[in-house]
Amino acid sequence: METTSLHTTGSKQGKRLLEVRNLETKFYTADGVVNALNGISYSVDEGECLAIVGESGSGKTVGVLSILRLIQSPPGRIVGGEILFKGTDLLKIDDKELRTIRGGAISVIFQDPMTSLNPVMRVGAQITENIREHENLTSRQARQKAADLLGMVGIPTPAKRLDDYPHQFSGGMRQRVMIAMALSCSPQLIIADEPTTALDVTIQAQIVELIKSLQAELGTAVIWISHDLGVVARLADNVAVMYAGHIVEKAPVDELYARPAHPYTIGLLNSLPRLDARIKTKLKAIGGLPPNLLGMLQGCAFAPRCMFATQICREQAPPAIEVAPRHQVACWHSELVSAGERP
Amino acid sequence: MNENVLVRVKDLKMHFPIRAGILKRTVGVVRAVDGVSFDILRGETLGLVGESGCGKTTTGRAILRLYEPTSGEVNFRGNDLASESAEEVRRTRRHMQMIFQDPYASLNPQMRVGEIIARPLRVHKLASNAREEKEMVADIMQKVGLNVNFRDRFPHEFSGGQRQRIGIARALATSPDFIVCDEPISALDVSIQAQIINLLEQLREDLGLTYLFIAHDLSMVRYLSTRVGVMYLGKMMEMSSADELYDSPLHPYTKALLSAIPIPDPPLERRRQRTLLAGDPPSPANPPAGCRFSTRCPIAVEHCRKVEPEFRLATEGHWVACHLV
Repeated sequence: METTSLHTTGSKQGKRLLEVRNLETKFYTADGVVNALNGISYSVDEGECLAIVGESGSGKTVGVLSILRLIQSPPGRIVGGEILFKGTDLLKIDDKELRTIRGGAISVIFQDPMTSLNPVMRVGAQITENIREHENLTSRQARQKAADLLGMVGIPTPAKRLDDYPHQFSGGMRQRVMIAMALSCSPQLIIADEPTTALDVTIQAQIVELIKSLQAELGTAVIWISHDLGVVARLADNVAVMYAGHIVEKAPVDELYARPAHPYTIGLLNSLPRLDARIKTKLKAIGGLPPNLLGMLQGCAFAPRCMFATQICREQAPPAIEVAPRHQVACWHSELVSAGERP
Repeated sequence: MNENVLVRVKDLKMHFPIRAGILKRTVGVVRAVDGVSFDILRGETLGLVGESGCGKTTTGRAILRLYEPTSGEVNFRGNDLASESAEEVRRTRRHMQMIFQDPYASLNPQMRVGEIIARPLRVHKLASNAREEKEMVADIMQKVGLNVNFRDRFPHEFSGGQRQRIGIARALATSPDFIVCDEPISALDVSIQAQIINLLEQLREDLGLTYLFIAHDLSMVRYLSTRVGVMYLGKMMEMSSADELYDSPLHPYTKALLSAIPIPDPPLERRRQRTLLAGDPPSPANPPAGCRFSTRCPIAVEHCRKVEPEFRLATEGHWVACHLV
């Protein structure tokens, strides 16, 4: 049977797969223009796991949905930038070409497996639908492949479960079905949008380990969106931190946790108690609230909550500068910040 | 009873009937809480952890008698709540309050903030006149870090973190001794969570409160709790002081639960060994025989599947329900 095709995408990390440049997405609502993404740039290499970290409303989900042009329009619109996937700008190709990439070379795993699976369709039919959309297989071959995929993501008696409906699976098992669907056409890039947020911790650990091992085995690149800095520490090669529609800091994972250089990143890391810490010092909370993205923001978006903020921060948005190899920070005072000094 | 014990829970059971068909006949029961016993000491924070469906929220609500427990005793300040009349319970409730998980659903959207906080004062007749009431509300708002000038605003005008402050203010209005905090931060963003946790900690110190802190975030529970209990499928699996539980857990479920939590430290994470549990928790409507955890336990033996382990004292102050430790 055709199971080998699952294992043919394995490749070494290194070659540039995706490059996002100055991506800008806005939502034109009745209340005004929401500046959801304000010119973000990042890249993903083959086999890499990039984590995008941020709180609700930071633009992390909009940022990756924009890659596949999955932003609902109206009210949303991608107003600027480039999304180069293996050299092709995804913003310039037509819908038909884009459809071969969606669910093919790039696939998505959404946060909530209950609402992203069709409740009145057997899971086997949902998986084979995607396979047959992209690959020229008979229904029997596609069904066999679907069963192989379910087996691969750790669902017991996969051939039998093909005829079950989503509600007959538990939350963790549904997320495995979603992963099987995402893998069905040997993608080169998987976008995982908080895939473990709705799950219990022991199930979350199962899913994280599953994705890690699949990634090692298949060499697929992963963009992992999360607000959980623990999960990111476990999974990611590189991390981008988002705040108010900007990437404020970007670095290899060890570098980011060891030498964070943006006050927001430091604030996030300091506000978490550690599971392995006996000492109980007062948590350092970040004061204030995330900004409203309605209307134009002047200066650095984090300035109102930042203890390093000065006049320039309130007036001009900081450019991203490189503070160490592959470590970029958008902060006027990153030198002071990484030195741990207060202005 | 020991002077220091504020709440004593004895063999508490909370079963919910499953009804089906036109006649709504009972076809089974969900054993949400199935016999738990523990004490909460004056001034401590008892953390209660476990995965969804383990019964931790139901335990909290049954203690406040927001549910009518199926059986068992809840002793609060020496009085058995389960045997008190509705009127007596209402009077006792002044001293025990609750902070809810969802700051959106737990505040009446049609009431102004000042009214929300004043309501418990009126119910328990704690203010002698309107002016005193107003002063008391202002005082509470200040305590939780809310701007007193916002007393005439509606809940929707506040952010999630501020709404949770309103919920905390309402719980504090009657000057309670004991507060059940049911996942008070899980609906909030990471940067806001620390603000609320620091507030709860500050209030506990200033007002001498006792908390039952229910959460699934084990790192936060360690940070906040004096002692911690671990629940699984309606049963208490382990309970001890927080540091002891996290540094030397005894129960295989606690060990697996702790190993499943990633630590925000990449080099450490790469070295850590995982104990991955297979499968999902069974349904509380049809729990397994013997030890409830036996179906997923990495070390279970035949005996575990037949005989339920007793919740016993393993070492000083460290309780565990497992045959093998």
